[in-house]
This record gives sequence, structure tokens and C-alpha cells, in this order.
Amino acid sequence: MRHILLLSLFLTVLSLSTFSQDIKLPDLKGYKKTTSYPVYLPENLWDYIDGAADTYLAYGFVDLHVAEYKKGKNVIKLEIYRQEDHTMAFGIYSTERSPSFRFLNLGSQGYITTDGAINFFKANYYVKIRTYSKNENTLKSSESLAHIVADMITGGSEMPSVLSLFPETGKKINEETYINESVLGHKSLNKAFKATYESGNDNFSIFIMENITPAETRKSVEAYLTATGNEAADSEIGRIMLKDGYNGTIFLAWKENRIVIISGLSKDQSEIADKYTSEILK
Amino acid sequence: MKNINRRGFLRTGVAGAAGIVALSPSLVSAATSNQQKDVISRTLGKTGMEVPVISFGVMRSDNPNLCKAAYEKGIKLFDTANGYQNGNNEIMLGNLLKDYPRNSFYLATKVKPAGVDREGKPSDQTTSEDFLSKFNTSLSRLKMDYVDILYIHDIRNPEMLEYKPIINAVKNLKKEGRIKFIGFSTHANEPVVIDAAASMDYLDVILTAYNFKQTYITELNNAIKKASKAGIGIVAMKTLAGGGFLDKEKTKPINSTAALKWVLSNPDVTTTISGMTDFDQLDLNIKILADISITDQEKKDLIIASAERGLYCTGCTTCLNACTMNLPVPDLMRAYMYAYGYSNPAMAQSLLSELGTNDNPCKECSLCKVECTKKFDIREKIADISRLVNVPSDFLV
Repeated sequence: MRHILLLSLFLTVLSLSTFSQDIKLPDLKGYKKTTSYPVYLPENLWDYIDGAADTYLAYGFVDLHVAEYKKGKNVIKLEIYRQEDHTMAFGIYSTERSPSFRFLNLGSQGYITTDGAINFFKANYYVKIRTYSKNENTLKSSESLAHIVADMITGGSEMPSVLSLFPETGKKINEETYINESVLGHKSLNKAFKATYESGNDNFSIFIMENITPAETRKSVEAYLTATGNEAADSEIGRIMLKDGYNGTIFLAWKENRIVIISGLSKDQSEIADKYTSEILK
Repeated sequence: MKNINRRGFLRTGVAGAAGIVALSPSLVSAATSNQQKDVISRTLGKTGMEVPVISFGVMRSDNPNLCKAAYEKGIKLFDTANGYQNGNNEIMLGNLLKDYPRNSFYLATKVKPAGVDREGKPSDQTTSEDFLSKFNTSLSRLKMDYVDILYIHDIRNPEMLEYKPIINAVKNLKKEGRIKFIGFSTHANEPVVIDAAASMDYLDVILTAYNFKQTYITELNNAIKKASKAGIGIVAMKTLAGGGFLDKEKTKPINSTAALKWVLSNPDVTTTISGMTDFDQLDLNIKILADISITDQEKKDLIIASAERGLYCTGCTTCLNACTMNLPVPDLMRAYMYAYGYSNPAMAQSLLSELGTNDNPCKECSLCKVECTKKFDIREKIADISRLVNVPSDFLV
């Protein structure tokens, strides 16, 4: 054990000489805190989370700070992922969220899984806390640590504002996601919030993209229409039902800076698409 | 297009010039049935699995239609992991593949043993119960009775390959028919781990990081050859050398086709799991399924990409005579790579010992004249790595 600790200490020193660290990892009462991990950067994140790193990188990963809290044989691991901004933090958080988890009032939103892992996001941080212990006190300490970290992170606790644009009727709770690249598998469509809906026997998805300018909106629309082999449209506002060879029937609407895409409905369900689109683009 | 500025959806006209992207799903199927005749497949070692040279690393995909299109275009092996997207990735894949004939695709997932430390060694938390619980969860999410390959995720220390609680657990899963073949994935210390694995007869498949930018490629190729001769199938990952771009700003994309073809130029590699997220990438990869020969332009692209600065020295030796202290700079940079790239400080220290350098070899020099072709701060890196000289070797396991 002494060997491992000394090696860890060495690696920490070695790492700190290369990477800066400005996150203060908090203490946890009754536990010994160790920070034997380097600060992970985009270049070496794979060393810590393997192939999952690609997804974090796609959501603007900046750095990762890791600490372990030990009390006897019980260990709690804290991971603080810094992403590019609040939207990106929500993005990576949302890829790992499931509506079946027990949600907690933590940061912007958080949850605890059936095996005791706690994940939440706040500002541009995504925080994950894990323990393999089944000890009740350890699990309580994990939750305490989560609240300490949430309080430590400065910044607002709001959810991304675009989420409020999604109509409530039929929306599945806590299934919203943010897709940073290649929405519906198309390179021309990026940075979309997605919500899933249930209406009778129908399940469908709505994507909302907010652009900086109407010109950007038109450019994305044109590129998508061209990629799917459809006639390009040169207008600041429009509603089109189209056939996407890979994704089936798509309802595409755009107005000024905003694009709305609905997938999962059939071509004879344009009334449903129209109702939802009108609410978003009103 | 006229009259689109209105309420209510209009149907678009089809321009008719977008190639396969514009095909309806039925036409896509018709087109791909022809393509499948030309697919280049290889045998995955002693498993006997015939696998197309391009497989799908699903880890980042959230669109089942992308996986569906890949399947229809001839890709057979889909690779996920228990931890990807906190399980959502397995759920997405399971919901899709449950509707396809089970013998028409191969499915691989990975489970990471708990409590493994940074050096890749097991701890009290590394139990078969935890491992099997995760595997059962994976199988349930995937809605399958079995997976074709179960990888023990992230092996970086040969010790783990002999760790009975995990090894016996996967052997039992194979006996029970809940997995067809046993494998492990590795992306740190790969040459050492793969070399050790070659003599372990319970192993069927190795999933390894493998790309044209790896500085220890000679050692890795030797280890892969040894494992392949022993009948272990080799699957490549991280073939784009980390992210598909040569720079942090993402302005210099790697020629992904060239990078994949380079990987497949090694006959010991059966297939590569490409992490696709869009249909354009899929279409590029599908072309490789039928033609893996590297063009002159692709070779040039790889040479240019190889010269781009990465994290580690590529051993170009142009700095060799520039040091006024006559230090073996490339060797010192290799030690640096062993410590950081391999995560193997013992190997780094061993090399430093061979070189006979002290704990601060630049101490007597006030002006560094070494100009690195990759613009590394050589003096800083030498100072960093040379401190290893003072660490007792017993501490570097």
C-alpha cells in the first residue's frame, strides 16, 4: 500500500507540473481525501474513462478533477467534469440520464441511480459521485458530498432556457437531451435540443435548434434539404414535410433564428406536427 | 420552392441528385444487397467469426437509424459498453437489434471491473459479484440471450489477466452460453498487456488502440503478431488517433479513410470499430468495406498527419546533435512517453537508468539550443521526467 501511495504522490506531482488545477476539491467530514489522479484534459481523458471519452469530448470537455474519500474500506469517488458551457454540461448530463432514476434537488438537476451513483449538473460542470459500498452511512455521505460540491460551484441552477419552448402536452418527463453534432445523423444539423412525446399510440421526437441569425437558419435548412435530396428552400420562414431516406418522414419548420424538426410521425399526421410547431414558433 | 411561407406543412419535391442519401429505406436495402457481395471480411482468430473489416463503435451514436443503415449496408459487428451513456447506448442498440435475426449480426459489449487502480491492479472492490451484476444489466438492456464478445474493459496491467474472480466469472459465462467469446480491451500499456495475453488460452479476442500516430507501434505490432499467431482475434479501436483532428481547435481533420486503411493494412487486424455519428462518415466507411488499398494521396495525408505535433516525441532524431550537453534527447523523450503515454513509470525509470542521466541533466546549461521539430519544450520535459531518477525503484511497480 505504501508503494502505491508513494507512486500516486509522485504521479500527482508529475501531473501537476504539467496541468494547472483551479478546482478546490472539498473535504468530507470523517473521510480522508486523496487526490492521486492528475487533472485530465482532452488529450488524456480516455486514460480515465476509455471509449466514453469521445462523447464527453463531443460536448466540449475542458478538464476533469478526481478525488477519493476513504473511511475504512468504504470509498467515495468524486469526478468534476468541466464542459465548455452550461448547455454542453446539460448535453453530457442528458446523455447519461434516465427517467427511471430518483431525481434530487441538486444543482440544476441531479439524480441517484439504483446502485447509489449520484450525477448532477450545474453551470458548466457535470459532477459524478460513485461508491461501491452498500453501507447506508456511506451512501448518506455520498449525498452530503454531492450537496457540498453543488454549493461550491458558483453560477445559476437553472435549466437551459430552450427547454421551456417544448410544449408540455404529451412530453415525456426527463427525457430531454441536447445533441451538439449531427442531429438525426446529418452533419448539416447541429446544436439541437430534443424532447420525446407520446400521443395516443404515437411516439415522436421534436428537435429545436436556435441559430444566431436568420441567415444561419436558412443555411442549415438548405444544407439539410440538399443532403436529403430535396429541393432547397430560400425563405426566412417555412414548413415542409419531407422524406429523409434514413429517418423517414420529417416535418421541418423554420422561422427567423429557430428550426423545428419533428420525426416519428407518419405523413398523414401533419395536423399533430402543425399543432406542436405552431406552439414553438408562435 | 414556392408558397412555403404559410401555416401547414407542404410536401417537398425531390431534387433527384443526392445519390444514396435520398433513397427510401426499401431502395437503400436493395442497393446494399448488391454492396454486400463486395464486402471484405476477415476471420476473427479462433472464434471463426467472419467479420467485415469495418465494424460500428456505437459509443457516441444516439440515432438508431444510423445503426440500422450500417446494418443494411453490410456492417455486422456492433460494439458498445456497459458504461457508455450510462447504459442508454446499450438500450438504444437493444431496441434496434431485437427485431433482426440474431444470426445476422455480432454484438460486443464491455464490462469494467470495479475498483481497479490507476496502475490497472485489482482491489477488494474488484469482485465477480459486481462484474456479473453489471453484465446481467447489460444483457437485459440489450434484450439478448447472449453477446458474441464480452470484453473485460480497460486492461492495462497483465496482472488483471490472471485475476481469478473476474477470469473465472467470464469463463463461467462462456460455459453457460451467455457469451460466445472472451476478450479484453486495452488502450494503455498495450504492447506489454497483449504480449502477456498471447500465452493465455482462455482469451479469444483483444480490442486494442491502434493507429498511425502511436509512437510505440513497433512494439505493439510485435505483440499483436504474437497474439494473432496464438489464435487471438484482433480488433482495432481509436484508429483516428484521438478524435479525428490533429489540433485542439479542430481545424485539421485527419483523413479518416486513410487512417482506417492504414490499420487494415496489418493482416493481423481483423476489423476496426469506427465511431460513426453521421451518414456521411458511414458512406465513406462503406466504401472501405469493398476497397482497403491505400491511394498515393492517402499515403501523403498520413505522412503529413504523422508529422503534426502530438503529445509525444516521434523519434525523428533531428535534435540529436543539438544539445550542448550531448544528452540523448530522443531517448529521454521516450522515457517521458513511457511515464505519461504508457502510464508505466517503472519502464521510464529503467530507461533513464540505462541512459545514466541524473535527476537534473540540464542543470549546467543556461541556454537550450535544442529545436524540436514538434516545438516541444524539451528542457521542461527533461526536467519533468528526470525526477524519476530519485524515486526508489521499489515504489514503481
